[in-house]
Amino acid sequence: MNKHSIRRTLASVTVAALLTINVATAKAQSEVSAVSVLSALPIAVSVAAPVMILSAGVSLSVVAVEASATGAVWVLERASDGARATVKLSAQAAGGLSVAAGTVVVVTAVSTGWVLSTASRAIAFIPNEIGTALLYNERVTR
Amino acid sequence: MRAAALTAAAMATFAAAAQAGRSCENKPPSVEAIQRSMQLAEHTARRLDQSGAQVVMLARRGQNLDEYRLRYSHLGWAYREADGRWRIVHKLNQCGTANGSIYRQGLGEFFLDDLYEYEAAVVIPNPEAQAKLLPMLKDNARLAQLNTPAYSMVAYPWATTYQQSNQWAIETFAMTQEPAAQTREQAQAWLQLQGYQPTTLHISALKRLGGRMTAANIAFDDHPNEKRFSDRIETVTVDSVFAWLNRSGLGGPVQVIR
Repeated sequence: MNKHSIRRTLASVTVAALLTINVATAKAQSEVSAVSVLSALPIAVSVAAPVMILSAGVSLSVVAVEASATGAVWVLERASDGARATVKLSAQAAGGLSVAAGTVVVVTAVSTGWVLSTASRAIAFIPNEIGTALLYNERVTR
Repeated sequence: MRAAALTAAAMATFAAAAQAGRSCENKPPSVEAIQRSMQLAEHTARRLDQSGAQVVMLARRGQNLDEYRLRYSHLGWAYREADGRWRIVHKLNQCGTANGSIYRQGLGEFFLDDLYEYEAAVVIPNPEAQAKLLPMLKDNARLAQLNTPAYSMVAYPWATTYQQSNQWAIETFAMTQEPAAQTREQAQAWLQLQGYQPTTLHISALKRLGGRMTAANIAFDDHPNEKRFSDRIETVTVDSVFAWLNRSGLGGPVQVIR
């Protein structure tokens, strides 16, 4: 190996080694404005319930899950008295979520609505009037 | 040979790292993240209502950019609809691709994006600038007019090969303010005439090389050679736009919302 090619080889090795370290910094130059995380979170478009069963700390069981082209419908049942609510979720992200009948979800009340979660990971957001006014999603260009 | 093998191994590592990027993960957010993001949206709507403005430039802190002495990472134009609700138009890069699209969203969606810090910043354009902006922000054809889908996070401000989010926002602003600025080149000429100055990021050759190899949405080939090879990468940042709006009288001071 002549002097020139040794130098070139060493340079390449150095580049390879340094590149691994620099991955994170390169990505951090400016924000990767990815499509909103929200799209991974189903948003309720309607809730039908004979009685108000959404309140802080309540545990609800998912008794039925129906997927359709327009979204998903979950039937939730309150453990204490069997009261049920039908929650219709936007199509946008419901497909990517695996919620099966039998799943127990916890309700957390926030100022803009209710968050349904399992093991502290949010699986759906049900906006109240304030929350509804803050949510809208339209793709303007393809 | 050995070098080639090492490079290949390193490349495989990058590919994995690129896919594991923060915003590309499709994992469910925490309850707290939703609560805090929606609360920030609520606080922002309230402050915007109180401001009396019809159009504002709104920014978020999606990443820690302290290394570059920058505070905010992404901006868009927010405006008040006839029903009193605020909507924001902004350009988003589809995760893991080299393409960007324009979206109209609620303030909720704007902040529900895995923020680094729950802090928003607002600059209110002067009333004349707002009046020119408002009808355009409701017109999808006008919003699309200066959009270049080819996306690079560090697009050169004075070229049209790529276009990042903040760049689309100020070029579209130029189009609304100057009737003669109907193409990207014309919009950029107006921005230069108005004294806009981009941020210069000092990014070493190694970082640049890493960026191009690992991410679809980073490119440097639109930058002039003399700047690129002296590690000076100019791009449109929120902080530089805010400073310019204030300096030129086109907008007011930065207001922080938490």
